[in-house]
Amino acid sequence: MRVWFKFSPDIVNKAIISDAMRKFNISFNILRADITPKGGKMLIEIDGEHVNESVEYIESRGIHVDPVKKVLKRDDEKCVDCGACVSLCPVKAICIEEDWSVGIDNDLCIGCGFCTGSCPMKAITIIE
Amino acid sequence: MKTIKEINQKIKNGDALVLTAAEMTEYVKENGVETAAEEVDVVTTGTFGAMCSSGAFLNFGHSDPPIKMNRTFLNNVEAYSGLAAVDAYIGATQLNRNPQIGMDYGGAHLIEDLIKGKEIELVVEAYGTDCYPRKEIETIIDIDKLNHATMVNPRNCYQNYAVATNSTDETLYTYMGTLLPNYGNISYSSAGQLSPLLNDPYFETIGLGTRIFLCGGEGYVLGEGTQHATEGERVNDVPVSPSGTLMLMGDMKKMNSDFVRGATMQKYGPTLYIGAGIPIPILNQVIAKRTAISDEEITCRVFDYGIGRRNRPVLKETNYKELKTGKIEIDGMEIKTSPLSSYKKAVEVAEELKKWISSGKFFLTEPVNLIPSKGYTFNPLEIKKPSILIKNIESKPVIIAYPTEEISDVARKLVENNINHLPVVNNEGKLMGIVTSWDIANAIAKGKARLKDVMTKKVIIAREDEPVDVIARRIDKYEISGLPIVDKENKVKGMITAEDISRLIGETAENDNEVSL
Repeated sequence: MRVWFKFSPDIVNKAIISDAMRKFNISFNILRADITPKGGKMLIEIDGEHVNESVEYIESRGIHVDPVKKVLKRDDEKCVDCGACVSLCPVKAICIEEDWSVGIDNDLCIGCGFCTGSCPMKAITIIE
Repeated sequence: MKTIKEINQKIKNGDALVLTAAEMTEYVKENGVETAAEEVDVVTTGTFGAMCSSGAFLNFGHSDPPIKMNRTFLNNVEAYSGLAAVDAYIGATQLNRNPQIGMDYGGAHLIEDLIKGKEIELVVEAYGTDCYPRKEIETIIDIDKLNHATMVNPRNCYQNYAVATNSTDETLYTYMGTLLPNYGNISYSSAGQLSPLLNDPYFETIGLGTRIFLCGGEGYVLGEGTQHATEGERVNDVPVSPSGTLMLMGDMKKMNSDFVRGATMQKYGPTLYIGAGIPIPILNQVIAKRTAISDEEITCRVFDYGIGRRNRPVLKETNYKELKTGKIEIDGMEIKTSPLSSYKKAVEVAEELKKWISSGKFFLTEPVNLIPSKGYTFNPLEIKKPSILIKNIESKPVIIAYPTEEISDVARKLVENNINHLPVVNNEGKLMGIVTSWDIANAIAKGKARLKDVMTKKVIIAREDEPVDVIARRIDKYEISGLPIVDKENKVKGMITAEDISRLIGETAENDNEVSL
């Protein structure tokens, strides 16, 4: 499960995430983190049997949790299957298929937007 | 041995054997060159990539009263009209004159819209003459209303190309696409084994008058393209770096937007993706052998685009088979690769041309003059006044601060020396950070006492051997007003500010005036 954690500065001293990891035996991978004096945002991949319970627990401790729903949409009219986006994707969600067309795996996409700006044809958009 | 005439007869009779260059590679592997030269009549090549050096001549016809077009805009993109009264040339990389649109809709997009038959806004300014009294036009046109829309591309189908990566710690936006920092990715642009000029590396069949596939219609080779070069190093008969080029023309009214697209390279500008395919007549065994070249046999070089100079260092020699796996290794690092040109579309081009020939719709032509295969070098532009390097600038003795200094002492230093930037160094004189007078004001307002708490640690720097123009671009790009000059050991040697650079440009301009008087 991929989620955004959003939190205010007053809870940064609490060990909420490690508490959740111990309690629910989940694994964490931080994909992006943006922490400023005004609070923070982290993009997290959570895995384990008790993911939903852990998310409820984390929310109860004051972190706002937003599941990631962003997916890439390709305009097939515009796309010429060049592949310029492939090496820019940090999570290998875009690849060149056997028949040389460009394939997108939205289960892997984290919605970073690297591909959208760099697409020469402006054929990729991120949608919620 | 076959002749083009004999091949055309076979095409007419419907019994010519036509293969794409990729199919030819396999055919020769299985049957050998001798059989291939006998059996195969034509090999079709194809490429579909960004070709900036493209554009079109347009003729608008005369209005009543007539006008001599002085400045011409099509959907706000300027077409050069310093030609006869109603001719203009629209270049692919021309930006939109509306700064809000800028790179997002340029000459290349306009060309695509014309080919699609869309309505285009035409705005013309003129100075008016006795024979052409009209001074302005604002109207709507489309391609059918034009007398001529002839694509003439000064340089297409580059024979091999550079492969790009980026060693610096900033993202670069280039004509090779987005290059991520610290060797984050690699970008290449060639159809490899399908590419036209890699299948006829010595131009034994291609020349002025060769009929080709251009953007979905028939086109012709006009001759060698600009920057045509023949003397570069070769491996397996094929140049390892950008070499031969072609000048192409075709009737835009017969083109198809499936095979020509306007594009924008992020923060670089518009460019035109062109689909071009050249038929190669298999006249003898030598030609057959050359068209059998595979991706693996085509060597190319990886360059560091992080170096903003004409001669970029070569990091590695690789080939298109390796690049197409999606990753290559440089100095132990595994780097993701991606193409900028579409191999899928290149295959479509070669297949389409094959279909045309096989169905007797397209015949080969005998070139009037072959493309030259020797004696051409691509010479650099030497600037009479060599570019000034940072180390050539007279810099004032460097004033520095240490991270442990009190804010009030630093403030005094800035005021006493009448400066706005102060590099912060450690005991060995190595750069640790930078503070500006604004940082100091900010620190005082927030009651911070130590310099190390307010300095900027990620510093944009200038190196001693970098040209001033590169630094001027860096100042613009990061919207900063000055940067410290450091040597190879990261020791601070001085400061260069936007003011220093504008003063330098001012001085040069004055000197120029003296010379010209």
